[in-house]
Amino acid sequence: MSESTISRRAFLRAISDSAQHSLVVLTLPSIALAAQQAQAAQNNGRAFGTLSQDEAAELEAIAARILPSDETPGAREAGVIYFMDNVLGEERGEALPAVRKGLSDLQAVANARFGNSILGNLSDANLDTLLGEIEESSFFATVRYLTIAGMFAAPVHGGNQDEIGWRLIGFEDTHAWAPPYGHYDAEYMERGE
Amino acid sequence: MAQAEYSPSEEVDFVIVGSGAAGGIVARELSMAGLSVVVLEQGPHLQLSDYTHDEWDVNQNEELVWGPRKGHPQTFRKYEHETAQVQDRAVLTYAHNVGGSSHHFSGNFWRFRPIDFMERSVIGEIPGTNFVDWPITYDELEPYYTKVDWEIGMSGLQGPWDPPRSRDYPLPPMPVKASGVLLERAAKQLGWTAYPEPHAILSQAFNGRAGCIHCGFCLGYGCEVGAKSSSATAMMPQALESGNCELRTMCTVARVETTANGRVSEVVYWDEAGVLHSQKAKATVLCANGAETPRLLFLSESSRFPDGLANGSGMVGKNLMFNGSTSTAGMFEHPVNAHKSVPTTRVIHDFYSIDQSHGFYGGGGIDERHLSNGLPMSFAMRGSRFSGASWGSEFKNQLAREFTHSCAFNGHSTSLPLSSNNVTLDPVVRDMWGRPALRTTYMNHPDDLATMQFFVDRAEELMEAVGATNITSSFASDGQTGGAHLLGTCRMGDDPESSVVDRYNRAHEVPNLFMVDGSSLVTGGRGQPTMTIMALAFRAADHMIQAARRGEI
Repeated sequence: MSESTISRRAFLRAISDSAQHSLVVLTLPSIALAAQQAQAAQNNGRAFGTLSQDEAAELEAIAARILPSDETPGAREAGVIYFMDNVLGEERGEALPAVRKGLSDLQAVANARFGNSILGNLSDANLDTLLGEIEESSFFATVRYLTIAGMFAAPVHGGNQDEIGWRLIGFEDTHAWAPPYGHYDAEYMERGE
Repeated sequence: MAQAEYSPSEEVDFVIVGSGAAGGIVARELSMAGLSVVVLEQGPHLQLSDYTHDEWDVNQNEELVWGPRKGHPQTFRKYEHETAQVQDRAVLTYAHNVGGSSHHFSGNFWRFRPIDFMERSVIGEIPGTNFVDWPITYDELEPYYTKVDWEIGMSGLQGPWDPPRSRDYPLPPMPVKASGVLLERAAKQLGWTAYPEPHAILSQAFNGRAGCIHCGFCLGYGCEVGAKSSSATAMMPQALESGNCELRTMCTVARVETTANGRVSEVVYWDEAGVLHSQKAKATVLCANGAETPRLLFLSESSRFPDGLANGSGMVGKNLMFNGSTSTAGMFEHPVNAHKSVPTTRVIHDFYSIDQSHGFYGGGGIDERHLSNGLPMSFAMRGSRFSGASWGSEFKNQLAREFTHSCAFNGHSTSLPLSSNNVTLDPVVRDMWGRPALRTTYMNHPDDLATMQFFVDRAEELMEAVGATNITSSFASDGQTGGAHLLGTCRMGDDPESSVVDRYNRAHEVPNLFMVDGSSLVTGGRGQPTMTIMALAFRAADHMIQAARRGEI
């Protein structure tokens, strides 16, 4: 891992902390890009236990359209694919054959439609078109389920790395709170309503 | 003192099946009165350090609520002429652990009001239903509600509209949340009253237990500081300390044996390794909940009780009531953060009884909640509540705002008791023990649905009054398909022809068998039944102790 990669990761963490755990405020594309590069570097080389490298890359391409990386990090940066790899080998092992079948079916459609069977090589627009057409399928429902679960499950399960999913929506893994919790109760206390 | 140890062949005074909201109380009361007690619990005895906030394990992998993934499939159908189908998730949901569902409930404890016990007399017959008065009144139960307040641990503030109480709450109410402020402001606009929600959660340290730390993981989770007043936290430690109570966990009851003279003699169960045992007892108390208690009675059929033990009335399993439930969501300009602290802090009870002029029977309350009980994964799974997007950039960006800037005003309401809403044994599907699966048949009475629509309408008015945008409502307008409130399936009554247990929770037909849990409820109240289950448990235990001392068990 290169020196510059480490410094980007440190930068990402520092930015995140200063943003008070909310990545919503990270609207500068350059910061999102840094986050993506840092995460990609972090994940690079991690072995998969259940999926092949090719399967993982293809499922990650779909996950990245369900929770895209745009102004804020998405499924890719959260390492959702590592969650999928874990649970498709364990708690959701029963879904693995259908996921593999659905993936190869979709690749066949991609090949017929766009002359390229690698989903990761398609443009975002083309992949979105294909996914839009199978929105009602059980394959899409399963991949969507796993993507969202991986984005928001506790990081110990492999996804939601650096709590990216939680911070995206303003959830903090804090075990104790004290009032006020939000804007309106703060106002209420202040005014003595 | 260490917990007691009894041999299965030794006849104890009482064997109790289930250690939940009712079972924990009955165990504590009987054992502290000096009676020998064995508690059989099908789940584990989790300790505070075992409790997590892990949504994947708890919500998606049925860590507490065992369903098909854990070898406990359930089937569902709306109508009796249909074939019930196995569902992906548990239909009747309850936690499998010491403390039962009081382990994972959110502790919203509304006392029933005097009207709940005598409503049939007040409003008259509702044709096609089993709507009747209770055999007991509010006044008879009041001392036991107060016992719940003080023995279990309650936080609240008595309002002038509340039913009378003989003693104040032990602890002040929980601090108001932003969502509670919004509900209170909305109610003021409309001339209604929002007042502090009563909780079976400690707002301050009490009885050697810690106060709430407002972590937000009440509903569906165990409380890691023990502030939630579950049976596991508030009752079982004292039962075990008494030296008269033995708790056997991971024990699943197969059937209850009866003798030729129609008395219960022993309870047959599998231990964790699948070895069958049989515990002899002078009397048996089923506290297995409104789903498992009727199932066990059906499984305990015999030549003397061909339709199920203690089921001469035919009422076992019938009159299942879930309570109605609605949700009206709205977006707000500033952060609400309803995922923090207890689920709700304000409740409106202006519509406890909806005026009869509306043309239907019903009533309930409205409180304020986070849209997904504060759970990030569950929140995202259902897609954007407001834009409808379920994947893609719009979806992601909607989530980022909606999680913190929205809340829901939820209705909790009445369910009418019907013979056609019931728990029975599935004729085909079996669980991991080979027992017939729970089969639920449920379709709401039209008045239940009209009541839910009424609460949606009121909640939308409230949202508008407080300036919410993107107001959207949802409820099971074509009938509820499952529930966590499992009520009515062994109803209490004076008439053995139309009820299963008497006014002291004793089976009409079996003198040494008691059923104490949600199944005893004659009507379901307005949406928060557990306090009444607990009050009935304290009351029933009192009578069991007296009966035991008179040699009448």
